[in-house]
Amino acid sequence: MGRGYQIDETDKRVIAAIQGDLPLDPRPFALAAQKVGLPEDEFIRRVKRLKREGIIRRFGATLRHQEAGYGANAMVAWRVPDERIEEVGQALAAFRRVTHCYHRKPAKGWPYNLYTMVHGASEQECRSLAKEMAKKVGIQDFQVLFSQQEFKKTSMQYF
Amino acid sequence: MDHVDRSILNEIQSHFPIISRPYREVARRLELSEEEVIQRVRRLKEIGVIRRIGGNFHSNRLNFTSTLCAAKVPEERLDQFVEVVNRYPGVTHNYLRDNPYNVWFTFIAPDMDAIKKALDEISKETGITDILNLPALKMFKIKVDFEL
Repeated sequence: MGRGYQIDETDKRVIAAIQGDLPLDPRPFALAAQKVGLPEDEFIRRVKRLKREGIIRRFGATLRHQEAGYGANAMVAWRVPDERIEEVGQALAAFRRVTHCYHRKPAKGWPYNLYTMVHGASEQECRSLAKEMAKKVGIQDFQVLFSQQEFKKTSMQYF
Repeated sequence: MDHVDRSILNEIQSHFPIISRPYREVARRLELSEEEVIQRVRRLKEIGVIRRIGGNFHSNRLNFTSTLCAAKVPEERLDQFVEVVNRYPGVTHNYLRDNPYNVWFTFIAPDMDAIKKALDEISKETGITDILNLPALKMFKIKVDFEL
């Protein structure tokens, strides 16, 4: 599955130190590096390489959207004919307020095969956006699923 | 939150400097002091705007696989089901949604067999057998930073 650069055991220690929350300090990498027994400069070099190689897809702050003023989000599940997946996937991904767009394998009794996360100031705004997206791609079979409660949200502890 | 907070958030979401003194660099870009940037980031964490600062990974590049699952759970069984599912460290997101499939969670594991095995265990322990497994075939977009 993995292409290109393959991580080594030292990278795993670096990942373990940055998969959670960095300490808030003028030299956060120095503290993180110390915890896993690496010099700061080597630690930074490795973080940069992981990013350059695309293993880290983004490095930085993760926000709570509600607190940051994006009041509502919805998952919109679409039923797209297989031969249109590529085209529709690209078109929906191009919407600015769509943060995630995935082609997924449908399941028995659940035929939806394209999934988008949409963000808006309100539920109404999310619904309008879904309608606008539906019109754009000419797909009418979709479900707008609002989250009513967060049971868990955490970052993966890989190593 | 004022416009200074917003400008700091925009910088540290997508352009967090991977250098020894990242906040000094952010301060330089925004014409603030390093101390002020750190103070403001501390406050944004305290009031819950910033969830964390760190790396986000392509799990498949770390030789992990991930999927989206959805379960049909009667209301009176909800608490127990969620408790059992959330016990798995590979379950990173879990939401109640307004649909007959009402519990939606993501699952990351070294391979799909591990996920299938976990779902079987969950079914056995909770009696909830209607759980969809919707693995990703292609990612068109993932972008979780917001212009504020």
